[in-house]
Amino acid sequence: MRTTRFVALAAAGALAGIGLAGCGAKDDGSKDAAGGAIAVKATDTACEVGSTTVGAGTVVFNVTNSGAKVTEFYVYAAGDRVMGEVENVVPGISRELHVELPAGTYETACKPGMIGKGIRGALTVSGSSAPLTDNAALAAATDSYQRYVQSQTGALLDKTTEFVTAVKTGDVAGAKALFPVARTYWERIEPVAEIFGDLDPKIDGREEVLEEGMEFTGFHRLEKDLWTTGDISKDGPIADRLLSDVKEIVAKANAERLSPLNLANGAKELLDEVATGKITGEEDRYSHTDLWDFNANVEGSKAAIAALRPVLTERAPELVTSLDSGFATVDTTLGKHRAGDGWKLHTELSQADLKDLSDAINALAEPISKVAAVVAK
Amino acid sequence: MFATYLIGLREGLEATLVVSILIAFLVKSDRRERLPQVWGGVALAVVLSVFFGWLLEYTSTTLLAKSEDRELFEAVTSVAAVIFVTAMIFWMRGAARSLSGELRGKLSDALAVGSLAVALMAFLAVVREGLETALIFYSAAQSAQVDGGPLYALIGGVVTAIGIGYLLYASAVRINLTRFFTWTGALLILVAAGIFKYGTHDFQEAGVLPGIRTMAYDISGVLDPSTWYGTLLGGMFNVTAESTVLEVVAWGAYVIPVLLLFLLPGRRGSGTTGTTGSASGTTGSATGAAPVAQPAV
Repeated sequence: MRTTRFVALAAAGALAGIGLAGCGAKDDGSKDAAGGAIAVKATDTACEVGSTTVGAGTVVFNVTNSGAKVTEFYVYAAGDRVMGEVENVVPGISRELHVELPAGTYETACKPGMIGKGIRGALTVSGSSAPLTDNAALAAATDSYQRYVQSQTGALLDKTTEFVTAVKTGDVAGAKALFPVARTYWERIEPVAEIFGDLDPKIDGREEVLEEGMEFTGFHRLEKDLWTTGDISKDGPIADRLLSDVKEIVAKANAERLSPLNLANGAKELLDEVATGKITGEEDRYSHTDLWDFNANVEGSKAAIAALRPVLTERAPELVTSLDSGFATVDTTLGKHRAGDGWKLHTELSQADLKDLSDAINALAEPISKVAAVVAK
Repeated sequence: MFATYLIGLREGLEATLVVSILIAFLVKSDRRERLPQVWGGVALAVVLSVFFGWLLEYTSTTLLAKSEDRELFEAVTSVAAVIFVTAMIFWMRGAARSLSGELRGKLSDALAVGSLAVALMAFLAVVREGLETALIFYSAAQSAQVDGGPLYALIGGVVTAIGIGYLLYASAVRINLTRFFTWTGALLILVAAGIFKYGTHDFQEAGVLPGIRTMAYDISGVLDPSTWYGTLLGGMFNVTAESTVLEVVAWGAYVIPVLLLFLLPGRRGSGTTGTTGSASGTTGSATGAAPVAQPAV
């Protein structure tokens, strides 16, 4: 009996000791250096890491599994030393990984099915471990962009509410008119929205999300009903969900601390959006209001660059010049297709028009892709 | 969906196995009065896991936010659980011995199971995986679509694990007493060895122990962890498709001496290893109900 008591006490004591050492040693409140999370889109065959260059410090990855297998996400240092990992990312959910990364080169890996070496990708961490935002100019840049996000999300919420009301009251014409307007505010800040994993496909997913086992909801679902059948009598619940999803993302976007790299990468992503979704006309395939989205993407990109402008002028003045001329060319090319307060429909553009737009975007994408490296210097 | 269900099953099994054997053991050795402590330990572990999971998921806490801190937490609690489970294995051995040709009443002499020890064992068995499970649940609840697919699949998996735990308990309490102690003891050794191997792996992942990439074997071609049998083997005995050399060494270093000591038919003596205490040292005085050791805390 004595022995048992002794063992119990000794083990309890040891546990308390180790436990305290284990939890207490690192609980020194290290601050998040890079405010925004890096979105990782994992499927059974791919591992898309939203940004492959980050600033040193605490890096947060938001891993979304849209495959059918359970996956794991790792960050490895040289020799496959595990810097951080998140396991048990079951299909259809997102999980976060917080990992402290000093400057250096790393590898990211998704492991669909929980075995093997995983789908690897390079990750470069630059700068000192002092957070990027410590730099006053960069901090000012993120603050300024944060204010832009706030103003856009406010308008997004107002216009989405109007749009949803029109849908629920059966006002087809009103809803059709509001659709591209509400989307404008969404498209301007889409890269911020993408940080929040699965909310993006819920709000802005196209019919292809069905193939990933998700429901087809949000803007495009309502768009399909408005423009194909004109029957929105059963869309009340869809409209309500859209509004609640938008409310959620607005709250999250305003609470999110963005990093300067989020801005740089966001500016680039918006142009990629234009190239892949808008020029092809696949984004708004029923309403053909792609040019509204096109313009909003470009405006959002411009806003991010404008926020970074003081930093870029100081560090890479020639880059600023080429960015300015790039945006000017895009604006002029797109300006030809204005129609009243809005834009021409995608179907009204000729192949030649689309090619001109595409060239203008590609010309701008080239300098924009250099911004992240300048910011991370 | 099935993949998600299996994850729930695996996480659930890792907690329920030890608890169900513990309960069977207490019921079998007429110590039902200890059951509230078991449930108390389980409840505390669940509450703590849910609370810490909530903190991590919905607040910007830095406590255990980093994966290596969580690995360390799991490693430490796993190794602590192994210590308690090992002590229990040797209580069983004492019980099995005092049964040989003696009266059942002697059991209470041989088994001085402190209520704190019982509660702590149940607590550790559940808490070591509880936080991770809670986090999976939160993320599933957050990203659940309207049909709540992942969440229901996870709940289904955990419920199945509890069902398996109950079946194990129900079949264990039915078998003959001597065989019960021998078999559940042996089963428990394998479970404990698995937990020990798991803890070793977590220490490696937390960067405390080296050799995370030094693999002993890789049979992922044969044993796919995403299959039902891969899940069961992983959840019950931590048999994994890829194991590091250190894990295998740790597993062997635990299993071989403990199994030998457990199966040795030797006289009552000091069946102790370096880290574990054996409570089989008391001789059966014929006083019937011996006082039970209450750890003075």
